[in-house]
Amino acid sequence: MKKYTALVLLFATALGAFAQTKPAPKKEQDYYEIKTLPIPKEIYLEVGGLATMPDGRLAVSTRRGEIWIVENPYQKTSHQTYYRRFASGLHEVLGLAYKDGVFYCSQRGELTKISDTDRDGVADLYEPIYQFDLSGNYHEYTYGPVIDKNGDMWVSLNLAWVGFGEGKFSKWRGWFVKITPDGKLEPFAGGLRSPAGYSFNEEGDLFYGENQGDWVGSGRVTHLAKGDFAGNPGGLKWAKEPNSPLKLSLEEIQDNGSPMFEAAKKNPKIKLPAVWFPHAIMGISTSDIVQDTTRGKFSPFPGQYFVADQGQSKVMRMGLEKVNGVYQGFAINYREGFQSGILRERFGLDGSMFVGMTSRGWGSTGKDDFGLQRLFWNGNMPFEIDMIKAKSDGFEFSFTQPVDVNSVKKAASYAIRSYIYKYQHQYGSPIIELKDLKIKGVEVSADRKKVRISIDGIRQFFIHEFTLKGVLNEKGEPLLHETAYYTLNEIPTGPALVAAAPEAEIKTKVTARNVKNSMGYELGIAGLLKKHTCSACHAKDSKLIGPAFTEIAKRNYSNQKILELVYKPNPQNWPDFATEMAPMSHVPKSDVLKIAGWINGLRETESLKNHD
Amino acid sequence: MKKLLLLLLFATPFCVWAQQSIPLTDLAAFDQPSQNWTIEQAVFSTYSDTAFQVSPGQGVLVNTLRGGKYHRTDDLKSKMQHGDIRLLVDFMLPKGMNSGIYMQGRYEVQLYDSWGKKTVKYSDCGGIYERWDDSRGKGNEGYEGYAPRQNASKAPGLWQTLEIDFQAPRFDANGKKIANAIFKKVILNGILVQENIEVSGMTRGAIFDKEAPFGPILIQGDHGPIAFRNLRFETYEKPTASLGEVSYDYYTGKFTDPIIPTTKPVSSGKLPALTYRVIPVNNDYLIHYKAELTIPEDDTYEFQTFWTGSGELKVDGVVLNKGAHWFNEMVPASTFLKAGKHRLEIVHIKDFPWGPKALGLNVKRIGSRLVSLHERTSLLDPDAVGLIEVKANAEPVLQRSFAFHLGKKKTHVIHVGDPAGLHYSYDLKQGAILQVWRGKFLDATQMWDNRGEPQTSEPLGLTVVQDGKFPLALAHQAQADSTDLVYKGYRLEAGRPIFIYEWTAAKLRVEDRIQPAGNGLKRTLTLVGASPQKTDVEAVLATGHHLSILQNGLASQPGNFMEWKGAAAELLKIASGAQQIRVPFTGAQFTYDLIW
Repeated sequence: MKKYTALVLLFATALGAFAQTKPAPKKEQDYYEIKTLPIPKEIYLEVGGLATMPDGRLAVSTRRGEIWIVENPYQKTSHQTYYRRFASGLHEVLGLAYKDGVFYCSQRGELTKISDTDRDGVADLYEPIYQFDLSGNYHEYTYGPVIDKNGDMWVSLNLAWVGFGEGKFSKWRGWFVKITPDGKLEPFAGGLRSPAGYSFNEEGDLFYGENQGDWVGSGRVTHLAKGDFAGNPGGLKWAKEPNSPLKLSLEEIQDNGSPMFEAAKKNPKIKLPAVWFPHAIMGISTSDIVQDTTRGKFSPFPGQYFVADQGQSKVMRMGLEKVNGVYQGFAINYREGFQSGILRERFGLDGSMFVGMTSRGWGSTGKDDFGLQRLFWNGNMPFEIDMIKAKSDGFEFSFTQPVDVNSVKKAASYAIRSYIYKYQHQYGSPIIELKDLKIKGVEVSADRKKVRISIDGIRQFFIHEFTLKGVLNEKGEPLLHETAYYTLNEIPTGPALVAAAPEAEIKTKVTARNVKNSMGYELGIAGLLKKHTCSACHAKDSKLIGPAFTEIAKRNYSNQKILELVYKPNPQNWPDFATEMAPMSHVPKSDVLKIAGWINGLRETESLKNHD
Repeated sequence: MKKLLLLLLFATPFCVWAQQSIPLTDLAAFDQPSQNWTIEQAVFSTYSDTAFQVSPGQGVLVNTLRGGKYHRTDDLKSKMQHGDIRLLVDFMLPKGMNSGIYMQGRYEVQLYDSWGKKTVKYSDCGGIYERWDDSRGKGNEGYEGYAPRQNASKAPGLWQTLEIDFQAPRFDANGKKIANAIFKKVILNGILVQENIEVSGMTRGAIFDKEAPFGPILIQGDHGPIAFRNLRFETYEKPTASLGEVSYDYYTGKFTDPIIPTTKPVSSGKLPALTYRVIPVNNDYLIHYKAELTIPEDDTYEFQTFWTGSGELKVDGVVLNKGAHWFNEMVPASTFLKAGKHRLEIVHIKDFPWGPKALGLNVKRIGSRLVSLHERTSLLDPDAVGLIEVKANAEPVLQRSFAFHLGKKKTHVIHVGDPAGLHYSYDLKQGAILQVWRGKFLDATQMWDNRGEPQTSEPLGLTVVQDGKFPLALAHQAQADSTDLVYKGYRLEAGRPIFIYEWTAAKLRVEDRIQPAGNGLKRTLTLVGASPQKTDVEAVLATGHHLSILQNGLASQPGNFMEWKGAAAELLKIASGAQQIRVPFTGAQFTYDLIW
């Protein structure tokens, strides 16, 4: 009987949906779908590495030292998967590769080759390719290998954590190293802090994702060439080794809180990131990075890059171009809502992407402790920014669909600003040197899929943030993702735009939507929390990456004190939280005070409940 | 910040307890010992002997059959009478022997040769033996017997350790029992086998017919030979310090040091016990507590304070300790105090908003249990984390982790567990066994809970630590170490690893195979390759002190036996002054058993 009622209710709901007239705004899941691979209950699949196998199986390595082979991972004939344990007993396998019938993986202290010599489906030979030094510090993670075209294995070595990133305890910590199949190590580049994800693009260039922290003002993706220094000096002790391709000492690096590009001007060994991922907005812990080489199967953006984030459980998109020989480009959201913190992305044989997850003590927006999902494009074409290219006086946007010309000609359709982060030994950075920018001219291509804008005051090295909130397609629909972040390392030469000025003056600020919403104050706050990315880390009642607002309310801070703490967080206030909050001093004071008032209001309602 | 907390936890000093020894120079400490009890210098036994070999001297208490049969009168009673007590003793049993220690002559912890038993009950070593009541009916007379949590017994012929923390029953003025006796802890060979077990009455074999506040230690001597050494104890009969009514002055403001301000307090009052709970705010306050401290007898008293923030403890105006701490950090300070009334003061500030408010004050005097002088809710209990266990019940299980060995953190360690219940940890850098154990396999909580900052795992059973050295040497040369070795990996056979090394100095490949055999682990070292040094290879079975070659093919070190077939062993003195047992290879292979 109960079942019957439920069914009726379900039908009723469906009918209700049909009855609506106005189509709902398009969402990510209308184009980019997530499928969850079931995990047997007794397996604690804290994913550290993924390897797609050419026979249609998927290999998954875990923090608990196991390698599982998943059969039917594409869930073709049935939804059920089958897990076979191939190897076990390893020490925290944070990277896995499969080549010629053999697995290669990183353990904390070893690059290991694992073979099944008697072909019974279970590994029986574990051979070290290379043994890494370890001090015993938990933060000395070892990632990889990524195998290059020559068969050499690339491994990244995390710094230890002793209140700051430190590489001196064990050799080559903070470095990328290349290891030949017979175990010869060659240091490649230094300055790494927490290099959890990296890969080569089709041109054979190496990119890695870095996590915000000391000397890292915000998450970023950096292209590394031999001898490059990526920014964190924790491992510079090893630059003194005779085989180091990098000669640099801590004393040569300025630590005065000015931006990284200023330090790089003084010392060109400092490699600037190709793309900054603004902290708390575009993730909080950049992890894996892969280039879409599926030729249009995985996404509408072939050749672009997909960058995962552990803390925010999402996949972002990065488009790169080369200007004056330097990689640079933009970051934009792609798909959020994964079940746990994403560490690994690997393409499957069908062009879908396997996403391997674990949150393991850092916390993530996806609440599961671990998970395995598959991300794919359903073939419907979303209205998205396809590419952004730098121009001598501005930028050129291309879109996946023709735009409504009227919408792109309105100045109010754009909000543009630029800013950068500090380069300093302190953890993280606030946004600094923030400047709102005005559009001088707009030009639309004949096919209406390209829009070039010229801007007053573009700044080399800065992050240029574009919010194209008024840009519509021909059906009058807004962009699926309206905000993109372009890192302008180089300004190309070329003719300036000769085009009509936009139709009205540009507003100087992005105004918060929904602040005064007809649905009341609560939603206004929700809008503010989302806009300023507070809700990326905090929820009202539950612990996410940061404490619940109700918990903050219990601290009895004044609104003014909350303002101070938002602008200059004191992580010691919350020793139980693993991820430190970034200074949010770019958020307008009035908005913070509004949020603070709302937080303190939670305490009053809370105290009425009388939990004693 | 988390890291810091952990450091603080590690830094917390353990409460030292002062123990008295029962001297084993003669039998003067015992009440009419039977002729079976003697004092000797040392006893020896193999794991299969049913009697001891004895060398005369002092230090070891031995029970030997001298006249026909053992009798109840062969039980050994201490002259010392005790109530609450913590007792530590080393014991050795020959094969198949049975004994026990009766607290107050009434409540027995069983000593038994339970070596190798898969399942254990109350009558096994470390068990709390049953009470007995005929009126319960035939077959049901025994009750309230408690099996140890696991079999923590070592092989007969090895010294074992036992620690018993016992709380005596309590009686009212009329002699009526108002609280049962409690085994607060029983620790056998380092394994906690009983915790907070309350017993409603006496064990069947008690030598009294009534429970009482005091009684002697009784060692059962009526079943067979047994030896003891290192008999130590602490009793808890002495009165300890107490605190009277607490008065306080409370101030608000930005205080950075625990200095009492000259301004008027915001509030003042009196409390029945010390507590932070009168403080209405989370930070930016100073509170000054004053109370009368009653010291019962002249002695040294240890005070332990706990607070989040800064504080100062003073007795009679003398600062005993001062500093900034986290609430789970115990800070001890000892001072000699004369009997009588003293003035105790605590000044406490918290000048930051994070962290829980907390205030605790304990006092410890030798001969008295640790007592809290604060109100219970004034100090938080630290969080406990549920065990993450790696089991090896069905097939051999391997697990790498960091592991502590002789106080050092080793980073390339693999633990190998076997369904036979015999496990070991192996240093892959060194080609060495770090420890062997029996029982459950591995506690991986510190590696897999949360971020796993210590990243260590630990044995869950009875563990014997080994020297952690590569087991081979060339004749007349020092033992090989990691600089002479290249680790080449391991292959699995029937799920068990065979570790492979290039031993560069000897130009040989070495295969190291360790597997369960009977009641121990069998290690087979195989030399592969042709090298002129091959005939010079010696197995190093043990390095250290107190090594004995018991007979041809059997030696012992503190903790375990080594047994082998083949050439005779040599007991060498090495440069460090320690001893070393070596056995030359007679072919390409050498096999020995570790038995514990």
